[in-house]
Amino acid sequence: MQTKRSIIAPAKFVRPTTAARTAHTARFIAIALAALIVFPFLFKLIGGYSDLAAQILLTGVAAAGFNLLLGYTGILSYGQAAFYGGGGYIAAIVLARLTPNIWEAAILAVLGMALLSFIIGSLVVRLYGIYFALLTVASGQMVFFIVEQWRDVTGGDDGFQSIPTPFLAFGPAHIDLTTKLPSLPLGPLGDLSDVNYWYPLAALVALGVMLLVRTLVASQYGEVLGAIRENEDRSTFVGYDPRTYKLAAFTIAGALAGLSGALRAAHDGSVALGTLSIEQSGQFVIYTVIGGVQTILGPFIGTGLIMYLESVLSGNGYWRLIEGVIFVVVIVALPGGILGKSTRARFGFLRALGVKKNGA
Amino acid sequence: MNEFLAALPTGLLNGLVSGLIYVAIAIGLTIIFGTLRLVNFTHGAFYAIGAYAGLVAAKSLGFWWAFIVAPIVVAGIAVILDRLLLRYFYSKDVTAQILVTFGLALVAEESLRNIFGAQTQRYPTPEAINGSVSFLGITYPEYRLLFAAGVIVLVVAVWLFIERTSYGLIVRAGVRDRIMVQLLGGNIRLASTIVFALGAGIAGFVGAAASPIYSVDPNTGFTFLIPSFVVIVVGGLGSFWGAVIAGILIGELQSLTTIIYAPAANVIIYIAMALVLLFRPQGLLGESEVIRG
Repeated sequence: MQTKRSIIAPAKFVRPTTAARTAHTARFIAIALAALIVFPFLFKLIGGYSDLAAQILLTGVAAAGFNLLLGYTGILSYGQAAFYGGGGYIAAIVLARLTPNIWEAAILAVLGMALLSFIIGSLVVRLYGIYFALLTVASGQMVFFIVEQWRDVTGGDDGFQSIPTPFLAFGPAHIDLTTKLPSLPLGPLGDLSDVNYWYPLAALVALGVMLLVRTLVASQYGEVLGAIRENEDRSTFVGYDPRTYKLAAFTIAGALAGLSGALRAAHDGSVALGTLSIEQSGQFVIYTVIGGVQTILGPFIGTGLIMYLESVLSGNGYWRLIEGVIFVVVIVALPGGILGKSTRARFGFLRALGVKKNGA
Repeated sequence: MNEFLAALPTGLLNGLVSGLIYVAIAIGLTIIFGTLRLVNFTHGAFYAIGAYAGLVAAKSLGFWWAFIVAPIVVAGIAVILDRLLLRYFYSKDVTAQILVTFGLALVAEESLRNIFGAQTQRYPTPEAINGSVSFLGITYPEYRLLFAAGVIVLVVAVWLFIERTSYGLIVRAGVRDRIMVQLLGGNIRLASTIVFALGAGIAGFVGAAASPIYSVDPNTGFTFLIPSFVVIVVGGLGSFWGAVIAGILIGELQSLTTIIYAPAANVIIYIAMALVLLFRPQGLLGESEVIRG
């Protein structure tokens, strides 16, 4: 059997000192926070509706989880929608029937999807390549089917409509997330009150997920994932059990997709059956590959780019075609995605913008 | 139970017809995988392009032209795609292959939607084949029987090509050991192109031939793609007769499930595939070594 080359170039790894890592993390947080603060107001300049920023960051969380699989572990799941939509439905049911507290809905969704992805993962991680991809498609289709048929609870084809507005419990205070921020003119960027409290929540969740993924991939666990990606047999020979590591990655990715879906459902006020569809799973593939696998920011950048273009171009019937063409062009011309290494080699000026290895 | 028995003969025939569509798409997929080691998610799009090319031909030139024009157009497109792009992916890992062919499939589907519109279209079928025949107490549309017979002939022809011709020999040898074929001087590049065009052409032909039964819309490609992958996995990757047997089994399974509980018809094939992969990962007729991506 001939050897196969991965599209993802092997990463050079040099373990930095603790002090260097802390400084690096501090710099990462500072840059990310600055970007997140400016981000929602950019849409004033380039078009797009006011809720888009929060939706992008919340959806990007699922893409960041998917990147743990495709980017860092090298396994392609076409079933992430099961956990994204599943988290959305759990949140919708909790918010509508138990409590309008967003924390409780999000935590139950994350736990539920961690459990579901653990169960599905323990069946699928033993398989490779096309078998793995098809089994993830299969599990996604089964979840879709169950939700579609269980009309009394889920609303079936109609989706789950009119989820009550959730509140954010912050000590004794209950913040209605749809309240606008206080008014503060920002010149050409509009006004602070253009966004509501959903945005700071989404930004903090996104930042937390970036830091989580960053810590995971820099840890020994992340190194083993990289070893599995580069050569699974060799990682077995040196004494690791790839299945355990892949199962952990699959479970974390499922939990993040559940979190993403839950917050999107609560934010949007409804969940459509389509959030569980194979097209939705494909969407996470597209976001992550375009933004850049094996980078921390890539999944968010890809999600942002595609969702933004969709919001300004969807009136035009060619949007899906454009999306497909962008996807193919990225795979062929920039196999690492917008933030990938090959892109940086080609467009060195990005380095001047502070985009470095692992997106830090 | 009586209702089930009454619906059974028609259900079995319907299962055979849809199973034969899977068979025709899946043998293309499986010989392409076997020879080129390419996992081709664009294959469903070849079916859809064939359906539309056939529709145009049927409307402008006459119904039967669809069966000539569709495979030629699709095989031509496939050769161009293969030479320009996909051949660079033969040696890449399965993940990269799935991604690029999935992207091409999206582009193809959306192009069809933009050119022909999103609505479902029907083939103008001539009166001569619109009738039904009665036998064994059931009435069945003539065209479906004709279609089933046509696909069976096609499958046998492809099998004869692979088993009896010198190109077929290279194809079969390539399934076993691609590098050895090249070392022995086999022109695997030409054989690869022929196999790719052949597999795509079959999908295009079936797209045109099945569309008078199922009608055409831009989603058709993906509708048939995933079940066809299920078929080649259940049958055993790279196994010709595995694809044939699994295709018919999957078609029948879907059709019989439709009679018992219609909403489960789509999901049942995934359950079947999951069971096969968990208990017999190499597939029904696959070789014992599981091919790793």
